[in-house]
Amino acid sequence: MDESRKLSPYVSIVVPFYNEEECVGALYKKVRRVGESLGMPYEVVFVDDGSRDRTYDILQSIRKQDPLVRVIRFRKNYGQTAAMVAGFDHARGDIIVSMDGDLQNDPADIPLLLAKLDEGFDVVCGWRKNRQDKFLTRRLPSLIANWIIGQVTGVKIHDNGCSLKAYRSSTIKKVPLYGEMHRFIPAMSTQADARIAEIVVNHHPRRFGTSKYGISRVWRVLLDIITVKMITGFSARPMLWFGFMSLPFILLALATIATSAMGSAELVPDEWTVMYTVAFSFFFLGFHLIGLGIIGELTMRTGDFVPAQSLVPAVQRKDN
Amino acid sequence: METTGAIVSENDMQQKKGPSRQAVHLSIVIPVSGRWGDLRDIYEQHAKEISATGQSYEFIFVLDGPDETALRPLRVLKLEHPEIQVIALNRWFGEATALAIGFEHSRGSVVLTLSSYFQVEPFEIRRLLEQFMKDGYDMVVAWRHPRIDSLFNRFQAWVFRRLVAVLTGTHYHDVSCGLRAMKRKVVQEIHLYGDLHRFLPVLAYEQGFKVAELPVQQSRFDLARRIYKPGIYFRRALDVLTLFFLVKFTKKPLRFFGLVGSAVSLSGAVILGYLGLYRLLGYGAIAGRPLLILGVLLTVLGLQLFSIGLLGELIVFTHARDRKDYQIEEIL
Repeated sequence: MDESRKLSPYVSIVVPFYNEEECVGALYKKVRRVGESLGMPYEVVFVDDGSRDRTYDILQSIRKQDPLVRVIRFRKNYGQTAAMVAGFDHARGDIIVSMDGDLQNDPADIPLLLAKLDEGFDVVCGWRKNRQDKFLTRRLPSLIANWIIGQVTGVKIHDNGCSLKAYRSSTIKKVPLYGEMHRFIPAMSTQADARIAEIVVNHHPRRFGTSKYGISRVWRVLLDIITVKMITGFSARPMLWFGFMSLPFILLALATIATSAMGSAELVPDEWTVMYTVAFSFFFLGFHLIGLGIIGELTMRTGDFVPAQSLVPAVQRKDN
Repeated sequence: METTGAIVSENDMQQKKGPSRQAVHLSIVIPVSGRWGDLRDIYEQHAKEISATGQSYEFIFVLDGPDETALRPLRVLKLEHPEIQVIALNRWFGEATALAIGFEHSRGSVVLTLSSYFQVEPFEIRRLLEQFMKDGYDMVVAWRHPRIDSLFNRFQAWVFRRLVAVLTGTHYHDVSCGLRAMKRKVVQEIHLYGDLHRFLPVLAYEQGFKVAELPVQQSRFDLARRIYKPGIYFRRALDVLTLFFLVKFTKKPLRFFGLVGSAVSLSGAVILGYLGLYRLLGYGAIAGRPLLILGVLLTVLGLQLFSIGLLGELIVFTHARDRKDYQIEEIL
């Protein structure tokens, strides 16, 4: 019943690629060397996320030589999250390791991640403590984003954006990942009751190709943080979240009426109209939010996903 | 699918499991909805062209609503050519649903759609199929070029085309042309409803399929005055908007509503901030100022939009498990 207690643990290394023809060969060699030294069965799942360069040709020739490698090719570019999820979906290991395909992560860190996982964690995140990227456009935004993610979701990880992570397969396959959620895997994995740890990993400067991300993602990340907060914190009780949001506006409406009434002697009829319009508008907003809360409850009842907060873990872990 | 239950099964017309049902290569699906020409003529002329290619084929007419004027010629046609499938829906469902039902009943590895009147000269169908086979596209859509049409028609077609291009980022000259050839997997993956048939090439492209256009000669019977009621124009505009959301934001509603919502409520907050300072610094009363109402309404509207985005995210989240964000081309 407990999948993580098989006799031979089995590691799947998942690597998504998008236009990384210069890196594929070198990365494969490194991964293979590490895989051989692990002392347990392993497989490599390469995901080609709709590359338009020679990435797929190179992957094909690697696949021909090495039966431990599997290659998944997307029909078009669907983004890093989709690529990682496809890798997770097709990985057969009890333990899954994900990493970037741009050679900035070092496969030599994989044994350290596995050792940490063995201490009884479900998700182990890499932390690029000596990150080799430009400070102003990459590291500073990342520092701020990680701080905000930690504050908002309560999962305080130094480096959410590092792709080098190890997971128990049974855990990560339960985590709903879509859109651009790969940045929020630690926070989202609380949905599967994961125990999370982090360790410092190596980081190399980019030698080939270009980064696929720029500064323009800031507002998208901010909106995503709000989404993740709602999902991890309130999806079990949408009414609570929307009701909570409506409260200040209903209070504001009442306060507007109260202050107008107190100063009524000084207000001319036109001013009364204005103040009541203001109060009613806030009332409407309050009721609108409560209405959305009700629809949110309906959605959660009819949807097929039951959030973790409302679940008792189905399989009790055997803790040593 | 609930619509299947709505099909009037005309026993004499449909022979689902007859001896004649062998494998076919080409399925020709003709939705008969709204406007149709001489259906016998359509069948005969196209059947002639397709037999000339030497491929096995089947014809499927899907009648959108039991309209006697269209059903009568089809009945006669069916008597003469029993291999034709005729499916009559028991009420009007729209062309997209008619197409989807036709697809469900088709068996060919290639599906060809035709309009129920002459849009394109029948001989062009062969060139389209050749092109489709040769270049390994997943879909080839006809483009009536040069377009013989009144200035007004061409103008409204141009507006429509620009709108679709700007909102979806795809460029098709004749996106809603009824003549298209597709691989079976295209019709299997795309869920058609409402008026979405018009945008089949865009939807296919979004699914990652390779779509090409082929300029073909327009039929002289295609000419018609296309001046519609205002309601139709409004519906078209809403169709394009639906497509826009389907293509861009169905997986991330907060990206859209959140951005618009925060911009609107921020402008409201700026107005309220200004008025607040104005009042606190003692420049005068603000209760009589319409600007106050504007500020409040903008704030409220912005927050409403934002919260709708949040609800959208909640809906996406609840269905994150059963839908895949990706389509796999190949696994090695």
